[in-house]
Amino acid sequence: MVTPPVKRPSAGFILGKSGVYAVLILGLVATLLPFFYIMVSSLKTDAELRKTPPDFFPQQPTFKHYTDILTDERIPLERNVLNSVFVSLARVVITLFTSSYAGYIFAKYHFKGKNLAFGVILIQIMIPFQVVMIPNYLLVVRLGLIDSLWALIIPSMVDAYGIFMMKQFIESMPTELMDAARMDGASEFGIYSRIILPQMGPPLASLGIFTFMATWNDYLWPLIVLTSPEKRTIPLLLVWFQTQHTSNQGLILAASILTLLPIFFVYIFLQRWIVDQATQSAFK
Amino acid sequence: MDISSVFKKETVNGTGKLMARQRRFAYTSLVPILLYMGLFTLFPIVFAMVMSFFSYTPIREGSGFLGLGGANPFVSIDNYIELLTGTGKPAEVFRLAVRNTFLFTALVLPLNLVITLPLAVLLESIGERFKTLFRAIYFLPTISSSVAIVIIWSYIYAPGWGLLSLMFKAVGLVPPKSWLQDPSTVYFGVPLAMIAVVVAHVWQDFGYNLVIFVAALQSIPKTLREAARVDGANVWQEFWLVVVPLLRRTVLLTSVLTVISSLQVFVIFQLLTRGGPKNQTQTMLLSIYENAFRFANNLGLSAAMSMILFIIILTLTVTQFRILRTEWEY
Repeated sequence: MVTPPVKRPSAGFILGKSGVYAVLILGLVATLLPFFYIMVSSLKTDAELRKTPPDFFPQQPTFKHYTDILTDERIPLERNVLNSVFVSLARVVITLFTSSYAGYIFAKYHFKGKNLAFGVILIQIMIPFQVVMIPNYLLVVRLGLIDSLWALIIPSMVDAYGIFMMKQFIESMPTELMDAARMDGASEFGIYSRIILPQMGPPLASLGIFTFMATWNDYLWPLIVLTSPEKRTIPLLLVWFQTQHTSNQGLILAASILTLLPIFFVYIFLQRWIVDQATQSAFK
Repeated sequence: MDISSVFKKETVNGTGKLMARQRRFAYTSLVPILLYMGLFTLFPIVFAMVMSFFSYTPIREGSGFLGLGGANPFVSIDNYIELLTGTGKPAEVFRLAVRNTFLFTALVLPLNLVITLPLAVLLESIGERFKTLFRAIYFLPTISSSVAIVIIWSYIYAPGWGLLSLMFKAVGLVPPKSWLQDPSTVYFGVPLAMIAVVVAHVWQDFGYNLVIFVAALQSIPKTLREAARVDGANVWQEFWLVVVPLLRRTVLLTSVLTVISSLQVFVIFQLLTRGGPKNQTQTMLLSIYENAFRFANNLGLSAAMSMILFIIILTLTVTQFRILRTEWEY
C-alpha cells in the first residue's frame, strides 16, 4: 500500500523518532526495573542481602530461597497453591456458565419484566465491594462457611458484568439457527448448550482469563473469611511470609516472584486478549 | 430477523405454544439467578443500610431479626452523627481517613493523566509491532498481585539501602531517613508516606488508563487528521484542535473511573504503610476494615462508614453513566 506523505502525522514529528523511543524506553525501564530488582535480589545469598550498601546484581546467584520455600515442611505450600487453583478454576467455570446462560436469556427471549430483572442484576456493578463486605461476612458466618474455601466461591457465582458482556455478544448472533433447531425439536436449554455456547469461544475466554486473574490476586475477602494456615490462598500466604520472616528477606522475595510467575506465564500467551478485555471493560 | 417477528408469525399461525414454552424457560432459568442476586447483592446492601442505624456487635445476641434490636439497639442516626462530629477515636480517625482518601485521589488522578496521556500519544505514533510489545509491558503491573507489588515497593522504599535511596545517593542527593515511617516529613502539606503510596499505586495502575487512551486514539478516524493537515494545520494544532477535543469524552470517563478506583484502594495502604505514620495514610476503606474486622466493637459504625463511601461512589458512578450516554460522533 502506498502511503501518502501527509498520512499519519504523529508525535514523531515533534520529538523525532529517536526521541519518541527514548521516552517510551524510559517508561519501559521504570515499569520493569522494580520487578527486575526483586528478581535478581531473590537470587542473592543471605550474606549479600544483609550487605550495605547492597550490590545490584548477586555475586554468587543461588536458588536457595526458592528451594527453601518449596521444601519447607512447615509451610503448607502445596495446599495453598491448590486452594488458589481450586477457587480460581471453580469461579471461572461457574462465572462462565452463569454469565453465558443469563446473557443468553436476556439476549434472545422476550418476556414481561425483562428490563426490571436486568436492572436488578446490574445493581451489582454499581455497588462497591466494601458496602456488601460486612453483611456478606455475617451471611457467610450464618451459612457456616467461615474458614472454608466455599466462602470465596459461593458469594461470587453471578457476575453482572459477565452477564452484560455475554448478552452483548449473543445479541449479535443470528436467530435463524435457533429457530431451525427449534423446528428440529431442540429444547431451549439444548439451543443454549449446542448452538449458542460453541460459538462463544472468544468472549468466554476473555471473561475466563479476567475472572481467573481477579480471583488469583484477590486479597481482602479471603483475608476476612479464611483463618487457618492450610486454608490460605497464595496472596494470604505471601502476607504471612512478609510478617513472619521479616529477618529473612530472601524468602519473601522468592515467594513474591513465585506468586507473580503463574500470572505472568498466562499473560505472555494471552496478553492481547487481556489488554483488549481491560480496554472494553472501561466502556461497559 | 428479530425474534418478536417469529412470535407474531407463530401467533398468527395459532402456535402460541412455542412462545409460552420459551417464556416458561426464561422465567424458570432466571428465578434462581434473581434469588441469588437477592441474597448476595440486594440483601447485603439493605442490611448494611439498616445496620448503620444500629449499635451492632455480632457476638452480642440481639433479639430481633438477624440479631438486630435488644442487646444491639436501634440508635437512629447516632452512628452518622458520631462519624461527622463525635470525639470517639474511630470517628476522629475516620474523618482523617476521609481527608486522606480525597488527598490520595487528588494526587493520583493528575499524576496518572500526566503520565498516560503523553505516553499514549507517543505509543500510538510508532509501528504496530513495537506498539503491541510496549503496551503489553506497560500493562504488566496492572495484572500483578497487589500483595506482591507491595512487597516489591517495600523493598524499594527500604530506608538506607532500598533501591530508591541508592538511586538518590547515586545522583548525589540525600535520601530521606525513612520513606514510609517519618511523620514529620511533609512536602506542600502532603506527608512523604502519602507521596510514596501515590507513586507506588500509580506505578501499578497506569497501564490501565494507558491502553484505554491508546485504543481511543486508534479509533479517531485518520481522515479527520488528514483533513486538518490539508487545511494547513501543523502537528501541534492538529493535536490540540483535533485529537484532544475528540479524546475529551474518553479522558473524562477514564478520570471518573480512576477516581472511583482510587477511593477503594486497600492492599497498598493496609500492607505498605498500615495507615501510618500517625494515621497519615489512613483511608476510608482501611478504617471500615479495621473497625469491622480488627476492633469489631460496633459494626453499625463501620456500616455507616461504608454507606458514606457508597454515597460518594454512587454519585461518581451516576456521573460515569451520564458521560457514557452522551452521544459522540466523529
